[in-house]
Amino acid sequence: MPAAQWFQFSLPDFQYSFLSILLEGLPFLLAGSLLSGILEEFLPPSLLARLLPSNPRLAIVASAFAGLLIPVCECGIVPVVRRLLRKGLPVSCGITYMLAAPIVNPLVILSTLAAFRGQGAVEMTCLRFSLGVFVAVVTGMICTRFAPFSILRPGILGPEDSDHHHHQGPENVSGRLMNVTGTATRDFLDVSVFFILGAAAAAFFGTAINQEVILPLASSLPLSIASMMGLASVLSVCSTTDAFIAATLTAFPMAAKLAFLVFGPMLDLKLLFLYGAAFSRRFILLLSTGLFLVIGLLCWRIGSLHLSW
Amino acid sequence: MRSLIPLLTAVRNAVALLLWGAGVLWLVAGGRLSTYLHPSLQTFTMVAGFVLLLLCVSSVMGLAFMHREPVGSCGCDHHHHGEDHHHGDGTAVFFFKALVLLFPVAVLLSGNADRFTTTTVANRGVVQDLTKLPSANAAAVKGIPTSSPAPSSNPGVSSGKTSGPMPLQVIDMLYAIQMPSYREEFEGKEVEMVGQFVPMTTGTPKGDRFQVIRMFITCCAADAKPMGVTVHGDTLPHVSEMQWVRVTGKPTFPMEGGKRTPILEATKIEPCEAPSDPFVY
Repeated sequence: MPAAQWFQFSLPDFQYSFLSILLEGLPFLLAGSLLSGILEEFLPPSLLARLLPSNPRLAIVASAFAGLLIPVCECGIVPVVRRLLRKGLPVSCGITYMLAAPIVNPLVILSTLAAFRGQGAVEMTCLRFSLGVFVAVVTGMICTRFAPFSILRPGILGPEDSDHHHHQGPENVSGRLMNVTGTATRDFLDVSVFFILGAAAAAFFGTAINQEVILPLASSLPLSIASMMGLASVLSVCSTTDAFIAATLTAFPMAAKLAFLVFGPMLDLKLLFLYGAAFSRRFILLLSTGLFLVIGLLCWRIGSLHLSW
Repeated sequence: MRSLIPLLTAVRNAVALLLWGAGVLWLVAGGRLSTYLHPSLQTFTMVAGFVLLLLCVSSVMGLAFMHREPVGSCGCDHHHHGEDHHHGDGTAVFFFKALVLLFPVAVLLSGNADRFTTTTVANRGVVQDLTKLPSANAAAVKGIPTSSPAPSSNPGVSSGKTSGPMPLQVIDMLYAIQMPSYREEFEGKEVEMVGQFVPMTTGTPKGDRFQVIRMFITCCAADAKPMGVTVHGDTLPHVSEMQWVRVTGKPTFPMEGGKRTPILEATKIEPCEAPSDPFVY
């Protein structure tokens, strides 16, 4: 395919798509930041420790299901996880929660059921949920083998991880409210920098690349899985609606659609930048490679089973 | 300079919140938010605009507090009630973040970012087969953006309106390909259709065809998928690409290339204003 066919860039289209992604993600990022501010002000680290099972492995598994109770989509998850880490949540649990929450979110479960109606909706929803949880738990387990400083960005567990700036003594309501908004503002703008860069990358690739370029890959199972994960990254669609996009890609096998639905909420282009707000570059690189390979191989295996769906 | 970074950071953050919040509410006030987002998401973004302004007010109050309370007055090395808790940013990082945070505002003010050009239409391809659009009926699932291509709730079609051209949507013609009984309601009758003009580069050997498209979105404009019908006319309209046009003509559904193709035989083509809601959901 000549270059002019698979790649054409238009600045107005980039700008339009970029603003759309920002306006769509803005409320969720803001909600995540406000939740972060509330957690910072009102969640004592001791309570967090009491809520988690004392067994580290059980704690990781519990973290994978925490998205059912604290449903946050992928745009808002990073500020929440950053704050929970500062509150003393183990890094492995934080990563597990971060990866699983956009998939185990009840709205995502319902939307997947709705989108795949007539195309094995129950099977696809169960597989998406279980594969998402499994991959997140495995990633969390692996992370227990590494020191937090090698995973996290410098300063994430720095001076702010303790009660350093929680001054003792009673504070009035307005003071606590100011603390909440101060934390939320700081987190929102910190993470927004990464979100803007991610939205720009997603808008660039989403508008400039001819999406039909991947169609010839649909006939090969491994290539279709890889290309659908690539497409999920480029499109950077919210996990509450991505199933509607995946369901229409009728040329692709179900295993490739499953890869799209599991990989996208864990690592799309905007997330790749958003993770930079909390994690080291080396870890993000390893995480990206690992998720691509593990999800790809698992979906390939599922696709090879020739399930009747 | 470095000693001023905390203060400058607080000012930068307040300005960013103000501009972002004002930008969102400016789009809301001008009715332009609908050109970016699915209706189910617009309320969230509008509320976010107000919250951003509230955070800005809070930041300004924090700035005033910061002005009154010198650093270290409480025994620690940072201020309270503001966004200046961490002083890790150097000058370069401070300016880089400022540029990134203000970039969306610059894009918004450029005035170019309110519709796609034919480049994206070409890159995404024009859909004429409804099975290639998000098709599940999610309307029953509360809280989820509905993505249900369905015939428009078009009173003209169901009532068999006879006076003047019957208003018809692009999606009606695509739906009619799959549903013969629906097709019979308007095939061969005079209809009026509004959409965006896209010239055809293939499939028009005599150069007398173009496409009228509408954008189908699931979430926001970034995931827009163009869907369209072919228009055949004696003369092509002298309008720019992606200009909104009103086409009057008769719908036909001939077999072309082994499949039924929606073609509007145009009798009149004129430019028109964009509809208040440019998308199909």
